[in-house]
Amino acid sequence: MDAVSQLQRQFVEHATSLYREGYLDDQFTQLLKLQDESNPDFVVEVVSLFFEDSEKLLNNLATALQQESIDYKQVDAHVHQFKGSSSSIGAQRVKNVCVVFRNYCDEKNLDGCLVCLEQAKNEYLLVRNKLEALFNLEQQILQAGGSVPMMA
Amino acid sequence: MEVKGNKCNYVISRSSNTSPMATFIRRVFVRIHSAVDSWEKNHSPCRRRGLHRDVEQDELQHINTNCLSSYYSVFVARLAIMVMLAILIGLLTLLTWHFTKVYTRTSLNALAYGLRYELLQRPVLRMWGVLNSTVEITTAQVKLSEYVVRKYKKPENQAQQVELYEVMRAVTWALFASHRALNSITIKYQNGFVQAFHRDPRDNSTYYIYNDLTNYTMAGAGPYDVNASSSHQGWNDQTIRSNISAIWYREPLDPNTGDKIGKQKAIPPDELINIAGISQVPYGAPSWHVAVSKFTNSPLLSAAMPVRDAPDGSIVAVVGVTTSLYSVGQLMKELVEFHSGHIYLTSQEGWLLATSSTTPLLTNTSDGPTLMMAVDSQDPVIQTGAKWLLKAYGNKPPPNHEVHIEKAKLGNELYYIDSFFLNLKRLPMVGVLIIPRKYIMGKVDERAFKTLMILISASVCILVIGCVCIFVLTNGVSKEMKLRAELISHLDARRKAEASSNYKSQFLANMSHELRTPMAAVIGLLDILISDECLTNEQYATVSQIRRCSTALLRLLNNILDISKVESGKLVLEEAEFDMGRELENLVDMFSVQCKNHNVETVIDLSDDMPKVVQGDSARVVQIFANLISNSIKFTTSGYINLRGWCEDPHSCTENGNFRLDQKALWPAPKNKLIQQESEEKSSCKKDKKVILWFEVDDTGCGIDPSKWESVFESFEQADPSTTRLHGGTGLGLCIVRTLVNKMGGDIRVVKKNGPGTLMQLYLLLGTPADIPQENYKLKYADHNLKVVLALNGSMCRMILSKWLFKIGVPTWDACEWNELTHILQELFIPSRYTQNLTYECSKVESISKQEMEVSVFIVVVDIGLLNLSTGIWKEQLNFLDIFNKRAKFAWVLNHDTSNTIKMELHNRGHLLMVNEPLYKSKMIQIMEAAIKEKMIPLRHGGILGGDTHEFLEIDNVHSDPESSNDSEKSEINTIQVEETRRTFSSSRYGAVNNCFLELTEVCSERNKLGANETFPVAANRCNSQENRMQYAEKTVNGQKSLEGVRILLAEDTPILQRVATIMLEKMGAIVSVVGDGVQAVEALQRPVEDGMPAQTKMRDPPPYDLILMDCQMPKMDGYEATKTIRRAEMGTDLHIPIVALTAHAMSSDEAKCLEVGMDAYLTKPIDCKLMVSTILSLTKLQPNSHIISSIK
Repeated sequence: MDAVSQLQRQFVEHATSLYREGYLDDQFTQLLKLQDESNPDFVVEVVSLFFEDSEKLLNNLATALQQESIDYKQVDAHVHQFKGSSSSIGAQRVKNVCVVFRNYCDEKNLDGCLVCLEQAKNEYLLVRNKLEALFNLEQQILQAGGSVPMMA
Repeated sequence: MEVKGNKCNYVISRSSNTSPMATFIRRVFVRIHSAVDSWEKNHSPCRRRGLHRDVEQDELQHINTNCLSSYYSVFVARLAIMVMLAILIGLLTLLTWHFTKVYTRTSLNALAYGLRYELLQRPVLRMWGVLNSTVEITTAQVKLSEYVVRKYKKPENQAQQVELYEVMRAVTWALFASHRALNSITIKYQNGFVQAFHRDPRDNSTYYIYNDLTNYTMAGAGPYDVNASSSHQGWNDQTIRSNISAIWYREPLDPNTGDKIGKQKAIPPDELINIAGISQVPYGAPSWHVAVSKFTNSPLLSAAMPVRDAPDGSIVAVVGVTTSLYSVGQLMKELVEFHSGHIYLTSQEGWLLATSSTTPLLTNTSDGPTLMMAVDSQDPVIQTGAKWLLKAYGNKPPPNHEVHIEKAKLGNELYYIDSFFLNLKRLPMVGVLIIPRKYIMGKVDERAFKTLMILISASVCILVIGCVCIFVLTNGVSKEMKLRAELISHLDARRKAEASSNYKSQFLANMSHELRTPMAAVIGLLDILISDECLTNEQYATVSQIRRCSTALLRLLNNILDISKVESGKLVLEEAEFDMGRELENLVDMFSVQCKNHNVETVIDLSDDMPKVVQGDSARVVQIFANLISNSIKFTTSGYINLRGWCEDPHSCTENGNFRLDQKALWPAPKNKLIQQESEEKSSCKKDKKVILWFEVDDTGCGIDPSKWESVFESFEQADPSTTRLHGGTGLGLCIVRTLVNKMGGDIRVVKKNGPGTLMQLYLLLGTPADIPQENYKLKYADHNLKVVLALNGSMCRMILSKWLFKIGVPTWDACEWNELTHILQELFIPSRYTQNLTYECSKVESISKQEMEVSVFIVVVDIGLLNLSTGIWKEQLNFLDIFNKRAKFAWVLNHDTSNTIKMELHNRGHLLMVNEPLYKSKMIQIMEAAIKEKMIPLRHGGILGGDTHEFLEIDNVHSDPESSNDSEKSEINTIQVEETRRTFSSSRYGAVNNCFLELTEVCSERNKLGANETFPVAANRCNSQENRMQYAEKTVNGQKSLEGVRILLAEDTPILQRVATIMLEKMGAIVSVVGDGVQAVEALQRPVEDGMPAQTKMRDPPPYDLILMDCQMPKMDGYEATKTIRRAEMGTDLHIPIVALTAHAMSSDEAKCLEVGMDAYLTKPIDCKLMVSTILSLTKLQPNSHIISSIK
């Protein structure tokens, strides 16, 4: 049981660090709350949806910004969508980058957009890594026969 | 003046001719004109200036310096223009003057020259004439002598000789007589005999002078032969001198006839006149010379000519003729007299020959009179003239001796000097004419001088006047500029002041808003804390204190917000129907709690004629009274606070009561005003009846000094500065009150009151929607034969109620303490006693018969304060009352701090009618109705506890009728009241609802915000719906499946959100359909849902969904478009499917856009679960009918 409790502690620490460092916010908590017996894998499902969606959007953005004449409306729409999905998942930092990104989009500032895209990518990768780590821990806990501790 | 006129013409003609000049002058004129105009224009502002004199002195100073410099520059410019103008005029003047003068002068000079020439010519001519005549006479004498001598050639004898002499004498006389100008004619013969005629000009006597013939020898004097004559020996002056021995005779002659009129007389030779001798004719030619004689004082011109014997040409005699130059002098005098000036003739050497003056021409020397030089003349003018000439030309006269000098200064005067040379052989003469310049040019010079002076003075005057004008004008201009500057600065200052005032209001609004938010949090949290049961008493007290303080602070903030709102003109009054009486009663309920602390009785006394429902802004009306009452409470330590209200129908001018007539007299305005307004509004809203509602807030506090009656309504004004220290407050309350009252078309003032305290009187002009039938209490209660005993502590309340009950026909008995109550009760119900204690309402008491007692309903209203609660006596008192419990209905008036044990005890004893303080009409009505009901169903005595509490609640929350008020805040209060009542009820049983109105308002609205996520933007105008949502949300707090059965269409393209939202909604029990974009959403609405509830697929008309959650940004068709399409499709039907926007935009503009396209609500991503649920509920349950219908079908 030591291993389980250690894993559990690790999980809690990791999760709290995620909140503390601002990768996630309350929305994620809400998601966690929504997960119950009827939807046991809800969070994982949603988060993986988010990953897929984000990959697609980031690719779209990258291609859109490489165009000769950049359709800022298009970019804006992508970013908006990205923002919506990231805020739904509670990926706060990605969302914040998206807000900045949209401002640059409004200004039609290509350099700013590119920088933001990089940032968004970074943030996305970060949050993805963190979340994957979290899910891994969760899996480990479950495999070890423990229960996933509830996040406050 | 003519000259000046010319000049003016000249100026004008020049100005019109030369275009640059003309434009310049025109500009000058325009400028002057405009300056004058503006000057006149700015006279009136000048007067206004004084008002704002003291404002912004510094700024003015600054502007003044600016102004001054510009003023100086303008001044200098204009001065320069004027100087130039003056110089121009001066130049023109001088030129004009010069030209005219030059022409005049040259012509005058020419004239003068002519005149002078003429003048000089005439004496010269005369001289010439004199000379000529002298010569002629001489010649004639010579010729005649020659003839006579030839005739008597070689006189033979004495007789012939004498005859010759006789003839000669006759001839000579003839000549002499014929020429009156002659001075003398002499003939000197060869032999020395002399015949002479002489005219003495002094006495005009004529003499014939001859020498003694005895001395004459024919032989002695040999004939003049050629030799002799050529040798000149016999003919020299010596001859005459040698003849001295001869005796000279003189005989006076008649000057006309030449006859001898007197005796001959020997005269001494030295008295002789000049006798021309041979010496004077040395070459036999006639000779001239000027001689002087002692007989005349004028020089004489003498000519001599020899008489030659014809054949040999020897000289036989010499004829001498002297002419006095006196006549020349005379002529000169005449001329000079006529023309003025001086004329003189001199010989070439400078000897004076003739002058126009009377000064002597000769000087007497020892050798007799001699000629004098002109420079020695005694006439000063001649002397100086001669000297001047001598000085000017010295001894070298100009070649022809002609001199014309126009300006010779002699002495102090200017003279013309002209000289002419008269070249006579042997006697060249110089004529000099000295004419004072004054004579010829005098007038001209004078005129010219005068003209010059006039012109100069005129131009100087013009300059001066111009300068003065400029000064005046620039003064005006500068004044104008100053005024303008001042005006501008005033405008600036005003703008600044307005701006700063605006900023202030803005700032206040912002600040108070910012402060309110945390305050709300504080209060909300405190409420939570208070409701926590595990607090110790001490903690509870502290927390309550904090709660009170926070509330006070919040109220202050609200006041400030109100003031700033009012000041910025943003206060808009609502127009909604509300029950004025209920609002006020509610208000009094709240304040009574506060009053009780002060031992003050709060009474409300509304007359029955008050319209039940009025139109207006209930919140503001309540605010008015809340402020007034809280104000009164603040200053009232004991006594009562009475809120009186009555109505006055403006259309029917009948007074509804003769009381307060005197006070109404103080208010002459409102009715007229109202009627006026009425006439204005009549056309617009005829159906809306306006009423004047009069109110009085009467207290027994410290009162307001009459001098402050007006000023207490100003901002930040308190009647007594020490008030702040004693009672706190900012002095904003009354200001807000007045503003609000004024906005409602009313007015407020402090009126005089008998006794201590303050009486505030106000009226409001409010609309009543329609005629509401007045309930007729009288009939109703009189029929039931009600009888009321009022045992109340508060005398005011008791008085008012008994008066009112009496009015509606219910007999009352009053008691203010326990003993009285017992008396009354005993008298009423134990008839044997009442005859002894007839203290109250004798007639009434007597009229009650035993029978009546059985049928009538007794209501005994007992104030809980009458019981002695401090000790255990109250139970005994209750026991006493129990005696009457069968016969009378007891109603208890509870305090807010009445302990639960008492309440329980009362319940146990069957006293079920309980109301909270204060007691007022509507509560009384409730009591009476309850009593009547009880009478109708007498079996309902002593029900179960639950029922009783229900009844209790019913009475206590008599105001919480949601239909009665449209106002959001009110409804909110009601709900909170419900809730709080419930909560307190459950937690502390009968804990009184003692939150005051304002607190409740704030708590509620702020709690909403707290409950919601902080990031969620709260729009003020959506308050209502949000509150509604909150209500539902609160209802559903415990139940998870709050959305059971609600069909929701979710239009969302993001899969994550789709998933999240679906899970969320499904957890709530909703049935969710998901579509990916707007087009699908529209389609989904148009055809039945495939996987939806099969039970409803058959319906087309009612929409397949209860609500749509619409993402705003979607591919193919975005949320806005989709909503528009849906709304368009809905047109014509009475369907309205609620659409809730989902967007990541968090701006209010997006919200506006959403609402614009027809969406009903607005949710931001990330979705807040609670908010979403409440929104959905509010939107779906608001139209329960449609839902029910659809589900039934």
